[in-house]
Parts: sequence; structure tokens; C-alpha cells
Amino acid sequence: MDRKFLLSINWPLVGVTAVLFFLGVLNLYSASGFRMEEGLNVDPYFRKQLIWGLMGLPCMAVFMLVDYRHLKTAAWPLFWLTVVMLVAVFFFGKTIYGARRWIDLGFMHFQPSEMAKISVLILGARLLSRDTGKLDFLQLGGIFGVCCLPVILVIKQPDLGSGLSVFLILGGMILYRGLTSRVLRTLIVAVPATLPLAWFALHDYQKRRIVSFLNPESDPKGAGYHKLQSEIAVGSGELWGKGFLGGTQSHYRFLPEKHTDFALAVFSEEWGFVGSMVLLSLFCAFLYQIALVARDAKDLFGSYLAAGVFFYFFWQILINMGMVLGLMPVVGIPLPFLSYGGSATLVNFCLVGLVLNVSMRRFLFKKV
Amino acid sequence: MSGLLSPHEKEPPRHGLLLLQLLILGVFCVFTLRFWYLQVHEGQEFARKAKANQLRREHVYAPRGLIRARGGELLATNEPAYALGLVREDCHDVEATLDAVSRWTGLDRAKLAEVYRKGRGKVKPFEPLILSQDLGFKEVAEVEAHKLRWPGLEILVRSRRNYSYGDLFCHVLGYVAEANESELDNDDGLSLGDNVGKLGLEKVLETRLRGIKGVREFEVDVTGRRMAEVNTLPPNAGEDVTLAIDLKLQSLVHEAMAGKEGVVVVMDADSGQVLALLSAPTFDANHFAGGISSEEWRKLSDDPQHPLLNRVTQSAYPPGSVFKLVMAGCGLKEDMLNPSETVFCPGSLSLGSHVFRCWRRGGHGNVNLRRALVESCDVYFYRLGMKLGVDRISAFSFACGFGKPTGIDLPHEKGGNIPTREWKLKTFGERWQKGEDLNFAIGQGYTLVTPLQVARYIAALINGGKLLKPQLLASAEPEVQTQIPLNAHERELIKDAMVRTVEDPSGTCWRARTPGAVVGAKTGTAQVARLTDELKALKDEDIPYKLRDHAWMAGFGEKDGRRYAVVVMVEHGLHGSSGAGPVVKACMDYLFPQTPKGAGK
Repeated sequence: MDRKFLLSINWPLVGVTAVLFFLGVLNLYSASGFRMEEGLNVDPYFRKQLIWGLMGLPCMAVFMLVDYRHLKTAAWPLFWLTVVMLVAVFFFGKTIYGARRWIDLGFMHFQPSEMAKISVLILGARLLSRDTGKLDFLQLGGIFGVCCLPVILVIKQPDLGSGLSVFLILGGMILYRGLTSRVLRTLIVAVPATLPLAWFALHDYQKRRIVSFLNPESDPKGAGYHKLQSEIAVGSGELWGKGFLGGTQSHYRFLPEKHTDFALAVFSEEWGFVGSMVLLSLFCAFLYQIALVARDAKDLFGSYLAAGVFFYFFWQILINMGMVLGLMPVVGIPLPFLSYGGSATLVNFCLVGLVLNVSMRRFLFKKV
Repeated sequence: MSGLLSPHEKEPPRHGLLLLQLLILGVFCVFTLRFWYLQVHEGQEFARKAKANQLRREHVYAPRGLIRARGGELLATNEPAYALGLVREDCHDVEATLDAVSRWTGLDRAKLAEVYRKGRGKVKPFEPLILSQDLGFKEVAEVEAHKLRWPGLEILVRSRRNYSYGDLFCHVLGYVAEANESELDNDDGLSLGDNVGKLGLEKVLETRLRGIKGVREFEVDVTGRRMAEVNTLPPNAGEDVTLAIDLKLQSLVHEAMAGKEGVVVVMDADSGQVLALLSAPTFDANHFAGGISSEEWRKLSDDPQHPLLNRVTQSAYPPGSVFKLVMAGCGLKEDMLNPSETVFCPGSLSLGSHVFRCWRRGGHGNVNLRRALVESCDVYFYRLGMKLGVDRISAFSFACGFGKPTGIDLPHEKGGNIPTREWKLKTFGERWQKGEDLNFAIGQGYTLVTPLQVARYIAALINGGKLLKPQLLASAEPEVQTQIPLNAHERELIKDAMVRTVEDPSGTCWRARTPGAVVGAKTGTAQVARLTDELKALKDEDIPYKLRDHAWMAGFGEKDGRRYAVVVMVEHGLHGSSGAGPVVKACMDYLFPQTPKGAGK
């Protein structure tokens, strides 16, 4: 049983995850290092991140071992619990940098918006796997209608990044299932048309960021500053990088948020093009492993769960890398495993556990 | 849940799987290209930018040279001034920060916004934008206490000029203030926010006093926090200078001129060193050091007595009878005057239809040169002027240094005016009239001289004819500009007449008598306006102030080989003797102190 159990674990995925996580910790050591005249002071971020990782392991185990099919039943309760939490944030939330996103649990600041991603993912997987075939308007409208509630609550926190990710995860899953060509055509026309409406729902600083992305040189020291500095950091790594702890851009703090959203810039500065390619390949391998699990899942619910997790990571990687490399506007979306973050690390581990869960059970009802 | 799943249900959507793989491929390709572009293709460029990013140069200010008086007393020093700067990059909310600053310091909110708006274009975002040049201790404490909650605010310690005797030396030293646009453009050594000498010696000696700024290169982080110093070029402090001016004499003169408008010059006749130089009234130069408020400025510039005007360099006056000293010299030099020959003064002289009066209506009777000078007889000089004519008078005046700046180390010095035929033609389009020779001869009309020119001429009369550059610095070597065209005998004649003017009971300068010293002087009364008969009939004190004549007294004192020229000019002082005399006397008393009775034989 033990051997069988061990064999059933998707080791490639575990391996890639572990490598990514440790690269992240290593990078945090450097990113949060602070060069002073007396040498390097290191903020304890990397240590904290390690602890988060260790805390993540049991969570991962739980998500891996409890049969994922139970989640089907838990999907709705989880969803409503999340909505309650999001509303609670408005009343009891802790305000940091002018945004109410956290609930203080004493030992940590819990972000309900992270929970929203998971519960929408699970609910989406349940709703989408009920049926096969491409989605028509009615089904699409129903699924989106339900999930709009948490998204709006999150965006109002304000946390544009997380709000969009919830949407994107769900959207990715819907695409994975497929839409009728009529719906697809309509969406292609309708989505750009509704964008101006969304514009008014945004906060001023969110608008500013988008404008400055479209024209970064207009205000090099304002909102476009992040983008420029980030490009300088990445670019100045050149082919081989400046070496571990050698990143001047990051150590001199020209980079904002270097241990969270811009952790990749630190990595690329120190490890150069070669290192960046290694990291990019690792991320792609990681995603590919999840895609394989989605392919081999023994039932549609599992396949959709894996697909949801795939998109959960995919969007973050796409948006964060795009932002660091100056291809996308600056929205506060972290890079999985590289960015420091307690809630995010826990969620990442849980979701990898969920994929392992689906992966393990693909043999249980093997078709002959 | 039922394990009976329909077979197709177990099949995940095929196009969905393809989609996942395409997405991975897409991400890989796009980001590979982007990494390549940033790190390899443009890598060198970005590496250069990164270098520039983290190296910051900072000027290290050289302390401005100190200025001392002749006796070593400090006149201009530097003291720390606390400026409030705002580093925009670190400031989360400029508006709120400005509100807070306004609350703490009481500075006007609108003005702060204005300063901020102006500074934005000039100051880099990571450099402090100076909101206020000069904070008191209370405000500094207030800001320091709140600094942590308001990132971006910085207290900068800068050097401010402090004038220990702000009002005594304001016109000599001028003042230092923040450099303006044109100064910045014309001087590579200046950067925004630097102080620069605006007037007086501070301006003239700017390069000597300023010294050379040092440079510090740092590696900095984004908040401008200093990480490591790369290299440092230490500053060279500005040069200290010592003035020729005697602090005691200057303050004494200042006191004597209290409430008056005018100029006092005391000059060492042998070296040209200026021992006292005052333009009255004065203002306190310290008001300008920290940036002057507009009310303060308005108060000074609207003052009817014009304290901001430096009368030493900016004003030239009709010399009145003082000019007779020049006329006498001119007559002697041209051999058109025999000192013992007498001229009869009936109290007036007619030329054509015009009557030229002597100031003494009853006339002086027969006067020779000495008596004409001692009693300042106008008719004597009318006749001399007629004889000499404008060409000779102006040529001699120029030769004695009138009509052009003396070259003293002060900016924008005016040279006064000595009229000539050409000048009259050019200026008024009219030819020179014979009658104008007469006005010229008694120092009225078009002639304008400065007290400095007069002092220089007086000094030349007693030092062997050397026309010296007036020197403000103690270290300056005597600089002979030219020799006046009078021989020793001629100079002696004029000098002697001046001494008589003081010594004789009938002389106009009896006030300047100083026991133990040889003192000579000449008064002058310069008409400001042609007084109507109605006004002339009034008592002096009833004539409107602005119409009263200017009062001159130009003199010298000698004792034990020390020789000084003293010139006092009091605007609207009515009479040389009463208006300017007491000030001359005060100078003489200080320069030649009397041995107290019973002390030393």
C-alpha cells in the first residue's frame, strides 16, 4: 500500500514545485537583502517564506489525501462561506495601504480574496462538469452570474488584481470546456464594448496605472516608474547576470515591491538571461505537469479542477512576468513560489496538493 | 456519487487540452523573446542605466569666506539654517503633506503649493525640493516629531549668511541670497538653491568668498538613502577677507547720520584705504539672507528715504561750492590765477541780461584766492570760470578723476557727470552758453560728482597729488590711478586755504576744528531746486524737506604723519556747515583723539 501510494504520487510535479519553491526562497534571501555600508542586512522574509512553506506542507497533504470528489459536495457551502468572509472584511478588516483586504486571525493576516479564488475554482469545476458539450448563453450566464458576487466584493476592497484573477480562472475553465461559436462571436464583440463601463468602477490609482502603462514615458517617475525600473533591473542582468546577491537595482531599492510582485526582476538581474530561461522552463514544465493531470483525470470534475488550478497558476505567471518584463500594466499580482506572501504560499501548496489528489486517483477507476 | 459514468463524460474536452498546451507554448515563446530582448539585445544599455541609477553626486558646500572689519571683528559669518525639503518620490500624498507642513510651520498653504509647483520642474524627484529656506527651532522640532509619519520630508541643514552688524555694512557688503535664473545660467559653479552674493562686496568678491564646492559620489537606494560613498572631493573653503573699514568709526558715522540721508566717506589719503563708508539710511542685510518676505521688501522699497539705494555708488550730486577746490586747482594749473590778486565782490555779477548772485548779498569786497575759498565767494569764481571756460574746466575735472567711476570694489558704480560742449550738444541738442561757465564754476548746473570722487581729490591734494583707488580691503596695496596735474606749491595753496576755512572765525568750517590735528575743509551747498522768492523768504526749517539744498563738507585731517580725507554729504541738509559739519567733526575726533589732560607729556 505504501509503495503503491508512493508510486501514485506525481513526482515530476512535486519535484518541479519543490525546485521552484527553493529558488524562490533563495531569491528572497537576495531580494530582501539590504546593502548597507556595513554589509548586507537581510530582512527575515526568506525565513518567513520557508516557514510558510513548512506550514503549507500539511495543507498540501490534506488537499492531497482527502478524496477530491468530496469537494463536489462542499462546493456550495465553501462558496457561501467565502462570500460571508468577504463581507466580513468590510466590517472587521484590517486596513493596510488604504485597502481592506485582511482579516486578522492573530497568527496571520488572512486574505479572503485568496479563498475566493479557491472556492470559485471548485464551484466552477462542479458546475462545468455537470454537463458536456459547449456552453450556450444560458449556462454561461448562470455560471458567471453566480461568481460575479465575490468578484465585485474583491474589486471593491480594492483589490483589482485578485478580482480579475477570480474572473480569469473561471474564464479559463470555461474556455477549457469550450463555448458555442455563437457565444464566442458575441463575446468577442461584447467584451471590448463593456470595458469602458468597467473603467468607471475602478479606483483612481488603478486608472492611473493603466494609463501610465499605455504611455509609460509620460511620467517616468510616476506610475511608469515601476515598469522602467523593472526593465532596467531585468535588462542589466545581461546574459549571465550579476551573480547571487549582486543585484544593484534590487539592493538599492530602485525596485519597488522587490520581494513580492517584482521578485522575478531580482532573479533575472542576478541570474541573467540564462537563469531567466531556466526559471521560465521550470514554470512551463510545472504548468505542463498540471495540464497532463487534467488530461489523465479519471472524471470530468477532476479534470476541471486541474484545469482550474492550471489557470490559477497560468494567469499569475503570465501577468506577473508580463508586468516585470514591461509587457503589461502594473497590477499587484504575485508570481507563484517566487513572490513572498503567506496566504499565497499556503494557497499555492493547497492547490498543488489538489492537483496531486486528482493525479493520484486517476488509476482508481481506470478504464480497461 | 455514482460510479456509473457515461463513457464520453470521462473524456476531458480535447480542444481544451490543446488550449492548455498552446498557452504554455505561447507563454514560453513570448517571454523567451522578451528576456532575450531585454537582457541580451538591450542588456548593455540597461546595464548602463542601472549604473547611472545608483550613483548620485552631491555637492559638498564650501563654507563661505568670513568677512572681518579692520580690527578683526567678524562682520559676516555663516550659521546653520534649517531648510525644509520634500523628496517627491518618497511622499505618498503631496497635498496632505503640504497641509501638514502648513499646520506645523504656519506657512501659507497657497504659497507652499506655489513653491512646490515651481520646484517640480527644476528638482529631480529624488532630490529635496526646498519648501522653506528658514525654519525656526520650534518648527524644526515640530517637523522632526512628525517626520516618521510623513515620509519625504527632510530637514536640511544649510549655511546661512549672518551679518553681525547688518545695518552698518549693508551697502558695503551687500548680501547673499538664492541665485536666480540668469545667475545660474551664467555661472557653472552654481546649482539650483545655491546662494550667491547679490550686491556689494559679497557680489564683487563672489569667486573669492565662495570657495570651491566639493563633490561626494554615493551609491544610493531609491529613497536616496546613502549606501556607500564612492569617492569624495573635499571642498575648498572660501577665502576670508578683512575690510579696511574701521568698525568703531563706521558705527560712529552711522550714529551721526541717524535720521539723515546721505553719504560719508573716510579715506586714508596715503593708501586709499576706506576707513568708513556709509550710505544713509541703512537697512538690515540679515533680512535678505533667508529670503525676504514680500511685505518686508515692500516696506523697504516704498520707504521715502530709500534705504535700499546705495548712495555711495548709485547717487551723484551737484557739488556746489566744494567744486571751488577744483576750480582753484584748474586756475592755478592754467596760470590764469594769481593767488595774491584780488577780485571785488559786490554781491553779484551781471552777464548780459542775467544777474549772478553771490550767496552773501552784501558782497565780500576785495577777495584773493584764499579768502574766496575760506568765505566761499561766488563772484570770485564766476570771474575765474569766465576766464577758464568750459573746455579747460572739464579737462581739469577729468584729470582729477571726476566724471568717471573711481573703481572702488562695489558693483554698478556711477561716475557722475562733467559737462562739455559736445555733451551739451549731444544731450540737449543745444550749444554751450557762456553763462553756463559761471554755473559750472560754482558747482551748479550739469555737474554731478560722487562723494568718493571728492574724497579721492581731497586725498590727492594732501598726499602729493596721487589719485588713489579707494580700497575696501585691508590687504589691498595702494593703487595710484594717476597724478593730478598740480605741483606741490599749487596743492599747498589750496590746502592752506582749506585749513584757514576751519581755523578762521569767518571760515565756514569752524565746526571741524580738532585740537592737535591739522584740519582743512570746504563746505558746499548744492541747490536741489530753484527756489522761488517766496520760498527763499522762508526760514530754513519751513522749506519743504524735498526742496532743501544738499549739504556738503569735504575735508582732511593730518596728525603725526597720518592723513585722512573725510567727505560728508547730507541730502537736503541745507547748509554744509550745520548739516554735514557735525559728522565731519565726529570723524575727526575719532581719528585724532585728544590726549586726556594729565596723561603723558
